[in-house]
Amino acid sequence: MHNSGALFWEKKSMLIISDVHLGKVSHFRKFGSAVPQNAIHKNFELLTSIVTQFNPGHICFLGDLFHSSINSEWILFEQWVTSIKSQIILVVGNHDIISPKKYEALNIKLALELLIDKFLLTHHPEEREGFYNFSGHIHPAIKLKGLGKQALKLPCFYIGVQQMILPAFGIFTGTYTLKPTLKHKVFIISKDEIFKVDIIS
Amino acid sequence: MNREELYAIAENWFQENSWKPFKFQKDTWKAFLQGKNGLLNAPTGSGKTYALWFPIILNYIKSNPEYQTKHKKGLKAIWITPLRALSDEIRQSAERVSKDLGTQMTVGIRTGDTSTKERASQKENMPDLLITTPESLQLLLATKGYAKIFKDCTAVVVDEWHELLGTKRGVQMELALSRLKSTSKKLRIWGISATIGNLDQAREVLLGTESTALENSVLIKAKLNKKITVKSVIPKKMETFPWRGHLGLHLLEAIVPIINNSKTTLLFTNTRSQCEIWFQKILEKHPEYAGNIAMHHGSINKETRLWVEQAIRNASLKAVVCTSSLDLGVDFAPVETVIQIGGPKGVARFLQRAGRSGHRPGKESVIYFLPTHAIELIEASALQQAVKHTVVEDRIPYLNSYDVLLQYLTTLAISDGFYPEAIYNEVVKTFCYQALTKEEWQWLLNFVVMGSQSLQTYDEYKKVEIEADGKFKVNNKGIAMRHRFQIGTIVGDANLTVKYQKGGYIGSVEEFFVSKLSPGDIFTFAGRNLEFIRIKDMQVHVRNSSKKTNKVPSWMGGRLTFSAQMSDLLREELYKVASPNPSKEGELSIELKSLKHIFERQRKESIVPKPNEFLIETFKTRDGYHHIFYPFEGRFVHEAMGSLLGYRISLLSPITFSLAFNDYGFELLSDQKIDMQQVLDNNLFSTDYMLSDLQKSLNATEMARRKFRDIAIISGLVFTGYPNKNIKMKHLQSNSQLLFDVFRDYEHDNLLFKQAFTETFEHQLEEGRLRLALERIAEQEIIWKACEKPTPFSFPIITDRLREKLSSEKLANRIKRMTVILMKK
Repeated sequence: MHNSGALFWEKKSMLIISDVHLGKVSHFRKFGSAVPQNAIHKNFELLTSIVTQFNPGHICFLGDLFHSSINSEWILFEQWVTSIKSQIILVVGNHDIISPKKYEALNIKLALELLIDKFLLTHHPEEREGFYNFSGHIHPAIKLKGLGKQALKLPCFYIGVQQMILPAFGIFTGTYTLKPTLKHKVFIISKDEIFKVDIIS
Repeated sequence: MNREELYAIAENWFQENSWKPFKFQKDTWKAFLQGKNGLLNAPTGSGKTYALWFPIILNYIKSNPEYQTKHKKGLKAIWITPLRALSDEIRQSAERVSKDLGTQMTVGIRTGDTSTKERASQKENMPDLLITTPESLQLLLATKGYAKIFKDCTAVVVDEWHELLGTKRGVQMELALSRLKSTSKKLRIWGISATIGNLDQAREVLLGTESTALENSVLIKAKLNKKITVKSVIPKKMETFPWRGHLGLHLLEAIVPIINNSKTTLLFTNTRSQCEIWFQKILEKHPEYAGNIAMHHGSINKETRLWVEQAIRNASLKAVVCTSSLDLGVDFAPVETVIQIGGPKGVARFLQRAGRSGHRPGKESVIYFLPTHAIELIEASALQQAVKHTVVEDRIPYLNSYDVLLQYLTTLAISDGFYPEAIYNEVVKTFCYQALTKEEWQWLLNFVVMGSQSLQTYDEYKKVEIEADGKFKVNNKGIAMRHRFQIGTIVGDANLTVKYQKGGYIGSVEEFFVSKLSPGDIFTFAGRNLEFIRIKDMQVHVRNSSKKTNKVPSWMGGRLTFSAQMSDLLREELYKVASPNPSKEGELSIELKSLKHIFERQRKESIVPKPNEFLIETFKTRDGYHHIFYPFEGRFVHEAMGSLLGYRISLLSPITFSLAFNDYGFELLSDQKIDMQQVLDNNLFSTDYMLSDLQKSLNATEMARRKFRDIAIISGLVFTGYPNKNIKMKHLQSNSQLLFDVFRDYEHDNLLFKQAFTETFEHQLEEGRLRLALERIAEQEIIWKACEKPTPFSFPIITDRLREKLSSEKLANRIKRMTVILMKK
């Protein structure tokens, strides 16, 4: 697990990334909401830096790679794809409405789900007998409490017995607060580090 | 017809109704007919509407001598009211005058409640006299060919201007007036305001700084002396009266005789949820009132509100539990008594509420003050003094609200388009934008056209376009439509309408509250117990339930603060307790006397501070280490001072606080002990570097983040969705919090982002007052008491659950400690 929200599967040399929501900034701008342009580049910088760090054979996006219909950010995405060597696989999410042909033209493989050994990779979290599920979609975060009435809300990897939900990788994506049970493990991601949180009822 | 003949018409009308015009009414008629602008200072129910409807109609008569037979069509005057609930009352008085004087003038209302059909027919054929709200006026400016509509308009009257002043709706009004001055050549601008501290400034804001309109204007004051009596409801058993709380239900029985002894009583509460609870509890304890009492607040549907208002007028209700929704306008003659539950926090508001009773000239107004906790009795005592010496607050107008200006520019761009040069010259003459520079103006223009300051090739930003001749124009219908929806949303959280499943509108609640409900939950709203079924298309579906509940919707908006004037008075009262003075001025009020045992208890471990003393208390509870400071300056100043002090302490050593504050003092709560001696030795209350320290305190960022919410909505950065419309806009909804972070990280020189901070310092933290308070503390002797247990003064503060956070520790360290604590539980 990496503090950017990406997951690296060493044995398979696979980098798993969820909910980047590329094109969201441009989409908003197209409809007259002036979200800062610099935020667009940040997503690509983050992607490049993580790929450089792990140099994976495969990159698997767990859905919601592109926020909306095609817009100018696609050009930047094309440039980015051609700049890296890894094979890209996209597990299609609810936001991925761009034509599969566009992806195939970039040599990106599309799938509704991926089954690798005993592992099931999907966009929406699901439980399936005999498989361990990796998913995204939720943008999980959790709330911590401490003495002196302190509280913090931070994005996290959310790990259950049957599944692991990845945090959203992209900036300008938001979070959804989950309430873990004793069966869960939670890893908080922050700017520089990743922390395990102990859950006590 | 000459002026004397016109006055005669008016005076005859008064005579026929066996009234006599007041001097202020005649003065206003004269000034208006002389072509002057002005501000009329008159309280509600004094006949202020007739002071201005008359000259408007007389002016029409003057220029149309055949007024009785021929009707000259077109808009003649606009009457702006901040609350659409008031519009009907105003229409009635306008119609009465225009009919009685034999003119054929028509009167129309145009607000958010007006049907689309009605609005379309108005566009074809404007009424002569139009009653509307600031938002609906903006919407008229978003209409194609608006200049023609306003061409022959002779007057704009802004009613309850004190309510708009100091809000962004006021800024909206300033901008609309700046445009109307150019479109309507014969325009007179008039404001009507209740008494506030800065009436002269109110006039300047209304008419424009250094404008010709201001030069040609008058300030008319209605001098109506009215006797106001304040009576405090003092608990019989002071010993068992709680030290904290905000509902005041302990004293419920005490109001029964008050209600029974008066024809109609208004009970003012400070929040809508408090209003709901009181209504519920009165009925529970006294079922005999069923059908005789009602409830009134801003989130209840219009029909119910109108019904309640009518019932008050008919004197068919014994009592109405209400909020500030009944502060304004509407004249209720039968109201004999007013009860204020909990501190009103401001003198002006208290006086206005008191004025709702005994409305007939010469009658005295009686207001009861019901404290919700013991310490509030000190407030009651201070209010007595305020009423005695008529001390009233200022309303501080906004400066440089870029968000409202951006909204206005887009508005003009969707109607007829605009040429920047012409509009700039109008805008800089307003009070709000008097200091707007050419650079800032260019920034704003770039923002509406490019969504940024430089053009980048792949960018698809679309909003306002520049046409070949330099006109700024919106040509995209979707953008225009979304913008029109946005205009009305200058205030408030996302509101959801509450409806029965089978139909039937009940009112609206904030999304924040609904998000905490799950299907099957019961909550009390509009005096009913309702079961939550589901949310669908921005509607909350409910059904009636017989189950009991204690869930009441809460509305985030407006926690009020003490004004500077209130704080001064409050300290004066306390000092009387600390250093008894046998002279008449120093005599303790009944309220203070009743608090005797509380003061004794306070003195056991601590002190009641004297004028030259500044009190600090520290103690430990299971929540952590409490450090409490008592400046008695009102919650906003305390919030600022708390952040400032917290930040300075955190420089001494890494620490994390949560900050709580009320109108009396503030608390820094931490899981570590603060070395108080070090705080005193380092002179942390200094005014040196005050502003930069404040800016660096994390708290300022958190507050700015909240301010940014409104700014993002007003400026059109965030789209809130179509009200009650089943149009899927989810892909364009984002939250302003997220946007704030994106701006902070990637575009921190954005003017809107900066505005969030400016507003925080000027309106929230009240920088000026903070400085004065710190200077005062510098001259006081600091008394630090290390206590064993919480003192009576500290109690309301430490039990406050709404808290701010402040930290100088590394996130990693905080997380580590927090996880450990979770494990111990």
